[in-house]
Amino acid sequence: MTTTTAPVLDADGLARSFGSLTAVDGVTFQIRPGETYGLLGPNGAGKTTTISMIAGLLRPDAGSVTVAGVPLGDRPIEAKRHIGLVPQDLAIYPELSARDNLTYFGRLQGLSGSRLRERVGAVLETVGLTDRAKGASKKFSGGMKRRLNIGIGLLHEPRLLILDEPTVGVDPQSRHAILESVEALSTEGMAVLYTTHYMEEAERLCDRIGIIDAGSLQAEGTRDELVDLIGGTDTVTLAGTGDLEAAERALADLAAVEQVHRDRGALRLAVKGAPRAISGIVNATAGAGMTLSDVEISRPDLEAVFLHLTGKALRD
Amino acid sequence: MRKLLVMIAADLRQQVLDKSFFIFGLAVPFALMAVFNLVFAPLTEDLEPITVAVSVPDGDQLGAVVPQVLSGLDGGGMPVTVQQVDAADATSRVEEGEAGVGVVVPEGFTAGLMAGRAPEVTVRHADGTGLEADVVTGVVDGLMTQFTSGARTLAAAQALGADPAQLGQLAQEVSAGGSAVAWTPGESADEQLSPQGTIVAGQAGFFLLFTVGFGVLGLVVEREWGTLARLLSMPMPSWLVVLSKGLSSFVLGVVATAVLLTAGSLFFDVDFGSPLAVAVLLLAVVAAATSIMFLIAKVARTAEQAGVAQAIVAITLGMAGGAFFQVGGSGMLSEIMQVNPVAAMSRGLGVTSGGGGVVDLGPVLLTMLIFTAAMLTLSWLLPGRKDAL
Ligand SMILES: Nc1ncnc2c1ncn2[C@@H]1O[C@H](COP(=O)(O)OP(=O)(O)OP(=O)(O)O)[C@@H](O)[C@H]1O
Ligand SMILES: [Mg+2]
Repeated sequence: MTTTTAPVLDADGLARSFGSLTAVDGVTFQIRPGETYGLLGPNGAGKTTTISMIAGLLRPDAGSVTVAGVPLGDRPIEAKRHIGLVPQDLAIYPELSARDNLTYFGRLQGLSGSRLRERVGAVLETVGLTDRAKGASKKFSGGMKRRLNIGIGLLHEPRLLILDEPTVGVDPQSRHAILESVEALSTEGMAVLYTTHYMEEAERLCDRIGIIDAGSLQAEGTRDELVDLIGGTDTVTLAGTGDLEAAERALADLAAVEQVHRDRGALRLAVKGAPRAISGIVNATAGAGMTLSDVEISRPDLEAVFLHLTGKALRD
Repeated sequence: MRKLLVMIAADLRQQVLDKSFFIFGLAVPFALMAVFNLVFAPLTEDLEPITVAVSVPDGDQLGAVVPQVLSGLDGGGMPVTVQQVDAADATSRVEEGEAGVGVVVPEGFTAGLMAGRAPEVTVRHADGTGLEADVVTGVVDGLMTQFTSGARTLAAAQALGADPAQLGQLAQEVSAGGSAVAWTPGESADEQLSPQGTIVAGQAGFFLLFTVGFGVLGLVVEREWGTLARLLSMPMPSWLVVLSKGLSSFVLGVVATAVLLTAGSLFFDVDFGSPLAVAVLLLAVVAAATSIMFLIAKVARTAEQAGVAQAIVAITLGMAGGAFFQVGGSGMLSEIMQVNPVAAMSRGLGVTSGGGGVVDLGPVLLTMLIFTAAMLTLSWLLPGRKDAL
């Protein structure tokens, strides 16, 4: 019954303790094909522990994982075939070249012969290491090692790619390259699970974001859904000509608009749920005889969401 | 199965590329065989009595081994009188011709070794001494090499908070061994090994404990590299990873020991007897040595710790098993010390060179089998650092 909308990953009620420390406490979420799901949380939130359970490295105390319809607990080997894991810590053989690292792990993924060669070549291309395929990887820059680390997870074209903080300690250029390849992969239909504590990355890459703290998901949704969740107010700036005073009065009557300031040739509004209210705002200004030249909406960021949900800042 | 071979092949290839397997598995043990052989070879000739004045700082545990070993030469066919004196006397007695050789173990010798420094023992010959003095020097030299072979890994201990305790324990074992057991070089009562055979078997057994580390302790290295997590995320059962490391160790151990025994028997003219019986013994002893590594891999947190633990185990078992000096004595302690791959190697090769076959090896093989099973069970039962292992 595998249809295109069936989730590639179904994590249900995952929990795991280490001694008396509860690292992960009932985490549930799903990822569909082509979707990038971000687990956003600070150090020690339980991201790696969650991922380790999903990748079959750590046995959950409770809960279950299903990958591409295969229950990991019952058929781990079959389920793992669908997973490409990019661990948080580099996992490459320093003495081996990029090509040898890829070939070795490719074999263990069950690839061989011309298919293996073809995939190794393709992955080297994807991560931009074709020119450096031969030298020992210990001589690579940090960013190159990271890229190789990611490449190994892509070899067998998994249905689910798991990336655990892949851009930590990476120069801006490599970081850009990594983010671009992740975007490209999800366009090709791969489901991506991406953990990070960088809010900008989560905003840029992820279709949906789960905010995790102290081992549990505090909230989940698209960026806009999360922002709406905290009921924060957006700032809408309207620039234009005409009767600004009339527009100001008309706007103040709208339910979603909490405040209006007139500021020379512009109106600055405090609005609840700007994406939904914006068409009403634009209509009201037109009705009042104001001609808009520019509209700008700025929303609270995920940082604010995180602060609201957990009472602490995302970065420590 | 194919994946198992892929992993073993990668491991072995890695060892061939990396020189330390050749150095610690083959070159060093062979060099030591040569040194010891040089030392014991002249025993067939008539040697003059010689007096050795040895100075060891009070309470220096490893230093105390030096006079014990030298006294041991006396029973091995070379008449040696060992005088324990202080440092100034060691020098003056040699100058006055009262002693043929003066040996001065410096202050802080044991501490220095444990800090990873090369041992510096001063050996001074009196005028006109001959072969006998060279023998004494050779023995001291060989002993220092033995100490140093562990020192490289022991150096790591310095960085680790918990280890002084472990090292202290090693030192205690060394000194306790010294007082509880009478060390006598040369042939032991019920074994048929020649002095040369004893050296070859002892060194092969001792260094086997280093060689088998190259596979299994790779688990600890890979845990540090992060590649272990990656291996465990591959579509294969996790025990396959562990098995591949065990088999790599086993193959390396068998190859290195086979080469050492063959080279040893050719160069030093030793006949170990039936090749079949020796081969069977080899498999059993290598399996036992490998099984110890699983225990270390389970307990060690870092590759450095694993190296230290390995050195401690090798030196302890090497001493108990008579890799350096034949262990005499009888009773419980001696029996317990025989349950040890190094001892089994010497004892087994004694049996085969005396004309024994596989059947005669029965008790030795059984001991190793039980040893292996016990080690594997223990490492299985110990709580792991990661679930999948
Ligand atoms: N093997 C382990 N043994 C004991 N405690 C552990 C183990 N692994 C993780 N923990 C603890 O579980 C909690 C969650 O750790 P986890 O690595 O999942 O966090 P994380 O969100 O990935 O953090 P980071 O952003 O720093 O990578 C932490 O308090 C951590 O110390
Ligand atoms: Mg983490």
